[in-house]
Amino acid sequence: MEPIIETFESRKKHMCVKGDGISIPVCDKASLPGTVTQRTCVYGGARIVLMPITDSIHLVHGPIGCAACTWDIRGSKSSREDLYKKGCSTDLHEKDIIFGGEKKLFETILELNKLYNPGAIFVYATCVSGIIGDDIKAVCKKSEELTGCRIIPVQSEGYQNHNKTKGHWIGGDALLNHVIGTKEPEKTTPFDINIVGEFNVAGDLWGIKPLIEAMGVNILSTLTGDSHVDEIAQAHRAKLNIVQCQKSSNYVAKKMEDKYGIPFIKVNFFGLDQTVNSLRDIADFFGNDEMIEKTERIIETGLREVEHKTDEYKQRLNGKTVALYVGGNKAWSLVRAFEELGMEVMMSGTKNGIKEDYEMIKETVKDGTIIVDDANSTELAKLLKKYRPNLLISGAKEKYISLKLGIPFCDFNHDRISAFAGFNGFVNFAKEVDASVSSPVFELTSKTFGGD
Amino acid sequence: MSCVNILEKERNVVINPLKTCQPLGAMFAVTGINKGFPIVHGSQGCSAFVRYGFARHFREPSEIAVTSLHEDAAVFGGRKNLVAGIENLALRFNPDMIGVITTCSSEIIGDDVYGFVDTARENLKEQIGEDSKQIEIVPISTPSFVESHFKGYDNAVKAIVNHLARKEEPNEKINIIPGIINPGDIRELKHLLGMMDLNGIFLTDISDPFDAPLRPSTQTIPFYPKGGTSVEEIRDSANSLGTVSICKYAGSGASSLEREHKVPAAIESPPIGIQNTDKFLKNITKFSGNQVSEELLDQRGILIDSMADNAARYLFGRKVAIYGDPDLTTGIARFVGELGMEPTMVCTGVKNPEFAKDMEKIAKETGTEMDVMVGQDLRAVEVYLKENNVDLLIGNSDGRLIALDLGIPLIRVGFPVYDRVGYQRQSILGYRGGLYLMDLITNTVLEKYYEPTHWKLQQ
Repeated sequence: MEPIIETFESRKKHMCVKGDGISIPVCDKASLPGTVTQRTCVYGGARIVLMPITDSIHLVHGPIGCAACTWDIRGSKSSREDLYKKGCSTDLHEKDIIFGGEKKLFETILELNKLYNPGAIFVYATCVSGIIGDDIKAVCKKSEELTGCRIIPVQSEGYQNHNKTKGHWIGGDALLNHVIGTKEPEKTTPFDINIVGEFNVAGDLWGIKPLIEAMGVNILSTLTGDSHVDEIAQAHRAKLNIVQCQKSSNYVAKKMEDKYGIPFIKVNFFGLDQTVNSLRDIADFFGNDEMIEKTERIIETGLREVEHKTDEYKQRLNGKTVALYVGGNKAWSLVRAFEELGMEVMMSGTKNGIKEDYEMIKETVKDGTIIVDDANSTELAKLLKKYRPNLLISGAKEKYISLKLGIPFCDFNHDRISAFAGFNGFVNFAKEVDASVSSPVFELTSKTFGGD
Repeated sequence: MSCVNILEKERNVVINPLKTCQPLGAMFAVTGINKGFPIVHGSQGCSAFVRYGFARHFREPSEIAVTSLHEDAAVFGGRKNLVAGIENLALRFNPDMIGVITTCSSEIIGDDVYGFVDTARENLKEQIGEDSKQIEIVPISTPSFVESHFKGYDNAVKAIVNHLARKEEPNEKINIIPGIINPGDIRELKHLLGMMDLNGIFLTDISDPFDAPLRPSTQTIPFYPKGGTSVEEIRDSANSLGTVSICKYAGSGASSLEREHKVPAAIESPPIGIQNTDKFLKNITKFSGNQVSEELLDQRGILIDSMADNAARYLFGRKVAIYGDPDLTTGIARFVGELGMEPTMVCTGVKNPEFAKDMEKIAKETGTEMDVMVGQDLRAVEVYLKENNVDLLIGNSDGRLIALDLGIPLIRVGFPVYDRVGYQRQSILGYRGGLYLMDLITNTVLEKYYEPTHWKLQQ
């Protein structure tokens, strides 16, 4: 059988075609050294799940680069503070490496508390703080006692694992161990929920929240989009967790189920069908007749509002192919949304998928879809060049690889500026996908000037 | 009256940094080599986030390999990863040069990078024989906990030159160490050299690698954009007429060529504005004997003509705050002084004792009372601007929120600029770049400070 693309022998098993017997690629392995991996570090994973907590300071304990290259790079929006957008670092230097950075960290925390009086200070461990053995936990404890501010250690040493997902879990652990359950809600209702794994990128949360609230459901907290740390502290009183990004946040939901007995359901607000299903699943969970009836009305209104609004886009997009190469969740959660646009997902891949993620992908995609794990930049370029999808959905590092090959690209990552979730989000989604696929620029690249 | 007040940082914490760590500078330098490949010996984030940053600024792919250090390496050392990494990279990508860039973790665990590189070379020789000699492997030590990205750039250029430069027959070229600047800037420098009837060897040249055409049919995999300085050219840098480092605080590559190969060095501010560009061209003349052409003098004259048209009318006495890398900051400060504006505050994230001295000189020239922040951050800039009025801000996109909050217009220069397009393609260097920067400044001033109702009166 012809290999999917030419690559290293050890990498071949990381790609497969659904329906060809093995439908799950080898995954969750260390990347091959010396390749241009699209992966990042464990610290990066922890940082992105916690960064959307808007009233908090995110302090990176390491040399300046770990903070300098990651501050304010997530398009998570805030309806309140913008403290979370600041880039804070202990800026460790040689003498700190030799004598230890704990004292500097302690002083830095005190300074930040005094300057901003934040809801919390999250202190991220980096490779360096791990290697030199700084006891971040002890420093956090001591400074918390002194300041009265929540000082939360995040044990996110970058080198810990090849898989950024570990960082998502570590971020979750920080909330589980230090935040959730530390404050009681003023009032509770029978219909309290947490929205877990929704980071409010481009304001996605704001497309979902009004729908859920109109159902009569009370949102206790969001983990972590547009949230305050004190809200997350009350999350343990919810009756249900709904999980949007199942890649990063199933972990937290499972732990909350174990610890507090809160059941969780997986939801997906990308695409109309998925939005409808998710709303119904929430209503069904509570089994309240009034809520079920309300939900149907919300669905009816939601669908009516966007009816025909995507027709023009669908007409142009019908039959076009799309490749997904994402962190995890979107590799399955976007598939139906693209199908609703009449597009065909011809490839789906993740950088950090684990076995359960690939099971989800396998269940979602059609036979014949290429499934790839941890494709490095060369492999991604080869896949794009050989199979030439009409669109790539990925992030900023991949964007220009795709464009250089003349393949349209649409950002569905941190840099996204349009909200895609919920009913109206679907219209934005269709519009943006259409703008990418139907741009006349790409005609210019493939139409020849005698050669190109 | 002129004087300089040095404002020292009075806290431990860095808030909204104006610098990053050494490896970024080295990744930038290696990207400017034709078929050069940076490999970062560290965690995956060390390459991923820098690639992300380059992609956002240049709107181009950024190909940087990594050895993917994990916990076992932190305990047992990164030998296996680096040796295998170099082999994989060499065999798969067939580069002309591999720049092995260290990080905080690999430096702290004490990896013997030079030794590992030797092992990799031997292994490669066993596998591909003499062909392995075609691949230069240059270890670049860039501990992230020492100084900043600027030092990393300096270390990389020095390491590359020291490794590759070979004394042979003299050539008729000028070496240029450009610093961390844009493709447009490098193209302008080439234009200036061309007008002086000279060719340059750029150490290194990111102009084409970070501004490559979209031509799918010519697109190679792996992605090797054309352009960049070839290994052959870098070897030849030992035989040049002279080296001009316009990266004032990172000129040790120039010093090294002077020491080792008797290539005379000039380490100056970047050619921004009249005097800085004059100085640049005079250095070129000094090294080559080639005189400044009439055509170049005309370009100079056009810039001065436009300055005469605009500077007194719209710009004189306006207060400017400038932040960013130290080389660009000194260059711009002198130029805004030439325009009659007052650079009342300059801030750099990098600590360099020379910087403050240079600023003192510029304060004297411009008769400005100048507040100078060295080794500071954007939080310091923000606090300062809340207490001290300025008319304009000049710096990178990271200051956009300060500008927005305080209602001060921001002129975007330096790295990174991600919230506007095209800046990487423009040049602020040379007389033509001065024209562009002045127009940008003037139009911004007109937009912000002048009523549109009486345009014809305000000419």
